Amino acid sequence: MAGPIPILKIGPTLLATIQLELHDTVVDSFQTDVLEEIEKTGASGLIIDISALETVDSYVARMLANTAKMAKLMGTETVIVGMRPEVAATLVRMGYFMEGITTALSLEEGLQLQRQRSDAGDTE
Amino acid sequence: MISPSGNAQDSTQTWEIRIDKEADIVAVRQQVRELAKELRFDQFAVAALTTAASELSRNVWVHAQKGVARVSVVWNGRKVGVELELVDQGPGIANLERALAGGFSTSKSLGLGLSGTKRLVDEFHIESEPGRGTKVVIRKWKKEF
Amino acid sequence: MQQVRHPDYMEILKLNDEELHRRLAFFEVTEEDVARLTGLKSFAERWTHDITEGLYELIMGQPESRAFFPDQATLARVKKLQNAYFLGLFSGKYDLNYVRDRLRVGMAHERIGMPPKLYLGAYRRYLALIHARLLEHFKGNASEAAKALESIRKVIFFDMALAIDTYIAAYLETMTRHQAAIRELSTPVIKVHDRILLLPIVGTVDTQRAHQIMDTVLLQVVEQQAKVMILDIAGVPVVDTKVADHILKTTAAVQLLGAQTILTGISASVARTVVQLGLEITRMYTRSKLSEGIELALTIVGKKITSKQDHTGGERN
Repeated sequence: MAGPIPILKIGPTLLATIQLELHDTVVDSFQTDVLEEIEKTGASGLIIDISALETVDSYVARMLANTAKMAKLMGTETVIVGMRPEVAATLVRMGYFMEGITTALSLEEGLQLQRQRSDAGDTE
Repeated sequence: MISPSGNAQDSTQTWEIRIDKEADIVAVRQQVRELAKELRFDQFAVAALTTAASELSRNVWVHAQKGVARVSVVWNGRKVGVELELVDQGPGIANLERALAGGFSTSKSLGLGLSGTKRLVDEFHIESEPGRGTKVVIRKWKKEF
Repeated sequence: MQQVRHPDYMEILKLNDEELHRRLAFFEVTEEDVARLTGLKSFAERWTHDITEGLYELIMGQPESRAFFPDQATLARVKKLQNAYFLGLFSGKYDLNYVRDRLRVGMAHERIGMPPKLYLGAYRRYLALIHARLLEHFKGNASEAAKALESIRKVIFFDMALAIDTYIAAYLETMTRHQAAIRELSTPVIKVHDRILLLPIVGTVDTQRAHQIMDTVLLQVVEQQAKVMILDIAGVPVVDTKVADHILKTTAAVQLLGAQTILTGISASVARTVVQLGLEITRMYTRSKLSEGIELALTIVGKKITSKQDHTGGERN
């Protein structure tokens, strides 16, 4: 794993914690790393923790949404956790609603959601 | 041509940041964020201002690759505020009205997001002509109550 | 990060050179006055002590004003400052530094809580004392004394205006702080149950209030880690496109955080308006009664309200 954003494995779920200012090289390596890890580990879930992000502009929001889409193509469901209240307020005020992504208040809730999803998936 | 609001007094403290690499977007963001925090804007206002700064400086980077950002403290007699000016000699915007009216572009590239950014600040002025570059000035005042 | 200067009264009162000259003009402080005042410097030095004593005789003679000078040390220090103040009137330099200085005097009085009536009453005595000394100084030449008194009076009134301005500026600051408190109280987010929050919105919702509602709601959702946020709008008199837009944005933001919203208190007329306006609120939970909203919220968190009689096997004590 090359980039600066750490990706851990918790059971069938990957947890990526974003703790820095995001700019293009970081974003590129993040997406690559995540997808490679999914491939390598066969993780069924991905949690992206953005609790450290004070600013999420449309570029970052698009990046997160795209990462979730890429993961989904590989069969992995994404949950974004830890969004700060001011980040949610700003995105909505801009008119950027981040359709189609799943969010949860905390890591615990995110993991719970993943578990529920995989339980549901098992019955298929 | 719209010019900045006349009732803002001359700013007393200005920080200038050249934008000619992608990392400069982060620099502008950080300067704006630090200033807003130091002036004790609430966290929502800090986020709005910082995000607006990020959107606008990214526009400069993406469309002009080169420009200047000026961050200042401003007074309007009763309230303190932050002003951000971005100037570039890029291609300019052909249809300003449409750029300001539309929502976010869902395509990968030319999302200017100006209308969204406008909603995050109190004052938004833009001058742009194809071939003549773009100048954007935004101001956000600290809520007194 | 460089130091940022915080607002001071000079800025709040817009006291720049322009304003200064406007004031000096309105108080009719002329070159002649300035010359006369600088010419009276020796008079000032001779009598300042005396005049200060006379002033404090009044102040210490009245219980209300005496209370501000509880001990000898404070009194001595203040008298010294008063002397300096008096001499300042004759400096001949009525520039922004002079103004800044005078503002500090006003601020000091406001801060200790001395009411304007005492402040102005003291100024009145001050002028009376000065008048008496001037008559002595000009050896009975009443017209010269009158001219001198007039010049002094102009500058003293100029100073009083500044003092009053600082009182006003200080009161304004207090008012805005109170306004902040009122705004907070008008957005009472209530914890109905574990991880279920409720905000009853009562009264008109303008843009500013809507902004504040969203901020407060989002802060509470994160702080309380709420799973459900109930917004009750039964108390909102008019729900038009703007208000609906504010409400929708707030619910969208709550959902963006990962929590659910339930909108309750939707009256028949609101339901009609919303659909007629073509507004999209089909994607969130809505109920007409708050009680239904609460029951739904409980369901979402995996709970429900049951009647005690439902339990078979008797009650536990």
